[in-house]
Amino acid sequence: MHFFRVIRWIAWKDLLSEYRNRENISSMFFFALNVILIFSFSFSLDSETIKEIMPGIIWVAFGFTAIIGLGKSFLIEVNNDCMEYFQTLPIPKGAIYLGKFLGNLLFMLTVEIVLFPLFVLFFNLDMIDQFLQLLLISTVATIGLSALGTLFSALTVQIRAREVMFPILLLPLSVPIFIGAVEATRGVLNADAFSLYSHWIELLVVFDVIFVIVSFWIFEFILDY
Amino acid sequence: MVATRFIGWLRKYEKWFGLTATVLISAGLYTGLVTSSPDYYQGEVVRIMYVHVPFAQTAMLAYSTLFLCSIWYLWKKEAVVDNACHAAAGLSLFFTAGGLITGSIWGKPTWNAWWVWDPRLTSFAIMFLTLVGYLMLRTFLDDKEKKATFSAILAIIGFVDLPIIHFSVEWWRSLHQPLSVSNRGVSIAPDMLVPFTLMSIGVGILFSYMLMVRTQMLYLEHLLEAKQGRLLNEGQL
Repeated sequence: MHFFRVIRWIAWKDLLSEYRNRENISSMFFFALNVILIFSFSFSLDSETIKEIMPGIIWVAFGFTAIIGLGKSFLIEVNNDCMEYFQTLPIPKGAIYLGKFLGNLLFMLTVEIVLFPLFVLFFNLDMIDQFLQLLLISTVATIGLSALGTLFSALTVQIRAREVMFPILLLPLSVPIFIGAVEATRGVLNADAFSLYSHWIELLVVFDVIFVIVSFWIFEFILDY
Repeated sequence: MVATRFIGWLRKYEKWFGLTATVLISAGLYTGLVTSSPDYYQGEVVRIMYVHVPFAQTAMLAYSTLFLCSIWYLWKKEAVVDNACHAAAGLSLFFTAGGLITGSIWGKPTWNAWWVWDPRLTSFAIMFLTLVGYLMLRTFLDDKEKKATFSAILAIIGFVDLPIIHFSVEWWRSLHQPLSVSNRGVSIAPDMLVPFTLMSIGVGILFSYMLMVRTQMLYLEHLLEAKQGRLLNEGQL
């Protein structure tokens, strides 16, 4: 019970501080909006080509958003001298990881849900009917991104050149998430049967399970320093 | 004490590894480049395979060594194990780069492209990027224990991710030829199998030799830094 309460408190603390200053979500949102605008200026596309490249554009925007948002996840703790408290608190360290992970997941999902209508608007897409499938893909892909991103945020926050190192470490290892998410999103945009792209969602779920467990186990070693 | 015994063991046996690697690689290169026949389809181009495949296999061996040493470090926190991790990472990067370059040279005449997004190629490219990230991470950390622990964590995460990357790209697209040696049997001509085997074992032992020498060098650097630090504290430098 104590374990789950810690997770809830950490996630609640992050959500509350975000609600008060709206620093993270607003920077993620406006950054992604800029990416979308640049893409919409760069391509003048017919409806067939747009279906082909749209999944890539969506996930490039979400990937950049993740870099902006997740990279800052532990910075707030360092700036407020909270890392020492995390290290000394008599609570399971994995619960701190899961709390931060949950907070990051909720931030990213919020930004993604707000961004979907903008994709519809700027690229004249017809994906309202497939919103639930897209939400499912976004959720499973974002769980994986948040799991790795939260871990690497804790790892890079204490080093020099953290802004450079965070994407350098996160992006290569997130390749399965991007491949799975792009291919599944393409299936949805082409209005394919669910069974034709469900294996991509299964791959994302496998990635999520493995990385949440490995990161949970390994987080304690990071917090020792 | 463990470190001293370990370094003593490395010093004692390293020359035998170096000698065996030299003999095997010389024999492998001779049989591969001179006595073996060209491939029916690929012609003389196949000879690059005698270098490419052992390099690729050894890159994986080196990363597996890095993974095991990283777990060992997190468990025991021995400085010499971190030196072995650092050495294995550098060597893994060297063999991965060698595998990618020789593969690319082979790919141009065979696939008519220097690069294709094939599962094994992509997995190796990502392994290369992960190793570059690993070595960069080490340069950006000053505290020795933090450096060793954080880089061990990255190595473990990267190793766990590699099979998933491989499967994801395999589902995405596949072009590489199937494995020539698998549990279904050997599909390779005997006069090609000899140089392949000699080179594979030879380059594997060469890696072991390089790992032994590099680990000793890094451990001596570590001792030197510790000694300089002590002398500095005592005001003797």
